[in-house]
Amino acid sequence: MIVLKYQKCDEARFISHIDLLRHISRILLRAEIPVKRSNGFNPHALVFFSPPLALGVTSRAEYLTIDTDMPAGEVLARFNASTPKGLNAICAYGCEKNPNLQARVVAADYVYPYPYREIDFSGVVIEYQKKGEPVKEDVSAKIFSARDEGGMLCLRLATGGVNLRPDRLLATLDGIYGETGSVTDIVKTAQFASEDGKFVNIDDILS
Amino acid sequence: MADFVSEFEKLLPEVEKPGRYSGGEWNTPDMSSPARGDMCFCFPDLYEIGMSNLGVQILYDIINRAEGFRAERCFAPALDMAKKLREHGIPLLSIETKKPVKDFTVVGVSIGFELLYTNVLYMMDLAGITFRAKDRKEEDAIVIAGGPCSVNPEPFAPFFDAIVCGEGEDADLELLRRVAEGREKGLTRAQILNSIADIEGVYVPSLKREGYRVKKAVVKDFENAPYISKPLVPTVESVHDRATLELYRGCASGCRFCQAGFWYRPIRERSAKRCAELAKDMLKSTGFGELSLCSLSTSDYTGLEALEDELSPYCRERGITMALPSLRISSFKPDMAKDSRKSSLTFAPEAGTQRLRDVINKNVSEAEIDKISVAFEAGYDSIKLYFMMGLPTETDEDIAGIAEICRRLKRLYMEKRPKRGLNISVSCAVFIPKPCTPFQWEEQISFEEMKRRQFYLRGLLREIKGVSFSWHGAETSVLEAALARGDRRLSYVIEDAYRAGACFDGWSEHFKWDVWQAAFEGRGLTMQMFTRARDLDEELPWDFIDVGVDKKYLAKERELAYRGVTTKNCREGCNGCGALKMGRCTIL
Ligand code: SF4
Repeated sequence: MIVLKYQKCDEARFISHIDLLRHISRILLRAEIPVKRSNGFNPHALVFFSPPLALGVTSRAEYLTIDTDMPAGEVLARFNASTPKGLNAICAYGCEKNPNLQARVVAADYVYPYPYREIDFSGVVIEYQKKGEPVKEDVSAKIFSARDEGGMLCLRLATGGVNLRPDRLLATLDGIYGETGSVTDIVKTAQFASEDGKFVNIDDILS
Repeated sequence: MADFVSEFEKLLPEVEKPGRYSGGEWNTPDMSSPARGDMCFCFPDLYEIGMSNLGVQILYDIINRAEGFRAERCFAPALDMAKKLREHGIPLLSIETKKPVKDFTVVGVSIGFELLYTNVLYMMDLAGITFRAKDRKEEDAIVIAGGPCSVNPEPFAPFFDAIVCGEGEDADLELLRRVAEGREKGLTRAQILNSIADIEGVYVPSLKREGYRVKKAVVKDFENAPYISKPLVPTVESVHDRATLELYRGCASGCRFCQAGFWYRPIRERSAKRCAELAKDMLKSTGFGELSLCSLSTSDYTGLEALEDELSPYCRERGITMALPSLRISSFKPDMAKDSRKSSLTFAPEAGTQRLRDVINKNVSEAEIDKISVAFEAGYDSIKLYFMMGLPTETDEDIAGIAEICRRLKRLYMEKRPKRGLNISVSCAVFIPKPCTPFQWEEQISFEEMKRRQFYLRGLLREIKGVSFSWHGAETSVLEAALARGDRRLSYVIEDAYRAGACFDGWSEHFKWDVWQAAFEGRGLTMQMFTRARDLDEELPWDFIDVGVDKKYLAKERELAYRGVTTKNCREGCNGCGALKMGRCTIL
């Protein structure tokens, strides 16, 4: 098993999650990385993703698990020679078995296009449309922390099974700051699993 | 030049499927070096449709390979994006470098379907391009059209400075080169248009006088003609999201209703060896999981077996599916589908009785329909049948024949697999008489008659279990027929219809029948004036284009049709259609 950490930026920010699955399988075919296939009636390549990223958001920390016997260094080099702009891999980790990031990731850090400031998020309510219906949701429990990253606001948000889409917080933040931020200016910088009640960076788990 | 890039990017998260506009597709050529001349290919439909268009990709590739020239793309934005562009005062931009479309040396619109005519204006409007060529200013881009609709360009001719009739492989690059040169030399617009008028296939509407003729452009050396070795890989799933290989051009069958079959003559095949090389190159460079072998009648291709032998192991090793569309019943073999995971067969008998199939020269006999049982034996239990309604000489008996074919297939199926059930889906289009066919003089049945026949067929099919029926809208068929055989007067109708809100006419949810009717009436015209029967000696709006196939040949074919006499497949010998004077039919 190889886990690739890759970015999703520039034009690739606008590739939807469903389209991303097709993109990745094409990159792997072009790169001639031999991927093991599942058994059964409709065999498919054994690749696994970390939780989906909201459309338009940049990420410096997406993960892709590939079931292959090829060494990590070669997978990394081949992948990068065959990937379109904005979807290149940063590093590759070898692991014994599938780390199942889809299920294990519980949080992610997002840097927002606003200068850092201490904000009280208790009782924060967001509004959005779900299947055409307006929804109001108290998301304070899904905002784990806020910190200063290079002068910018960085929020750690629930990600995965319990999820808070980073773009849905924009309107709230716009209200607080009195300016308009764009989804395309949000950058995801890290993903975390939870171990003994603590957040552990996925990179630390893999290396 | 204003820079719209950052403003444009901000719009992307707010629209549906932003990947339609973002660019950055794999295999996009490097656009960083300066170009002497550039061309923006505009496709008047959504990204998902346009990215599946083979012609545009081939021409795009040719220009980008030429030293000093560049091609970019632009597709019709969906309505939500168009609204945003207008709100923010951003003109239509190219996908690659986000350059305003109107600032290109040449703007090339590919028109493949009559119901896209209003979308051409929609794109011009969003781009800020003046609709009528005669009103354009000296420095404005040269706006040209090409694509299958160039078979009768008259309805849209006034919107273009030039139209490439036929195959653009050689003409487009030459045209771009001459326009760029003309600009460098400081020639006037009129001089530039004069300088491109003698390129084979190029029609300059403003130069059309009595006796003006245009010779259709034809790729002579099809075997070695450039082909896209590195197709762009779409960002958003497109309708044909796969590698597509064109095996040959033209068609030997001679179905009398089929425009493409006559328009793309002479018949030129690529060798199986070259096809296999091209296919592998494409698959390697794209990573597509599916390969489609495409031509007007793929299963007639001389080298099909050799090609399959060459490609099957390659595809199997990599888990790539091979798709064979438009199979002809007469050439179906069960092992043809062995590498395809499809469980549904598609056949197009086109007409319900042998008599009518003879009229249209669709070479499918009753005995051959019976051969479908081979497919049932091979495990197929779902079949799609394509028919046409309103063909010349059609009677209710022919329509009843469609239901009869369904019953017959069900019987055949039951003999092979009595325990299961067969699903048949019948799709019925309305016959549209098209230019450059033996039926170019025919009338289209009236709107009321279409409705009556559709109703009649639906009633008959309802009685058969397991058959579903779908049909094309009668309204769009009438409009398509009127536009297909129209003349320059229709340019006003198209413009009026666009201004009154017609757009994306090919999408049933956007089609506005009343707007179109009013647009015709407003100009003192009716659709029936264009769907009527034409006299054989009448001058037709597209007569000035030399397509190779002689008008006399078409008339003779028409006469044979009325006598119910078939014409043999060109693979059995030349029928003397006249296309040979434009190049060799390689199947002979
Ligand atoms: S020239 Fe002869 S072989 Fe070629 S398309 Fe015409 S009839 Fe067929």
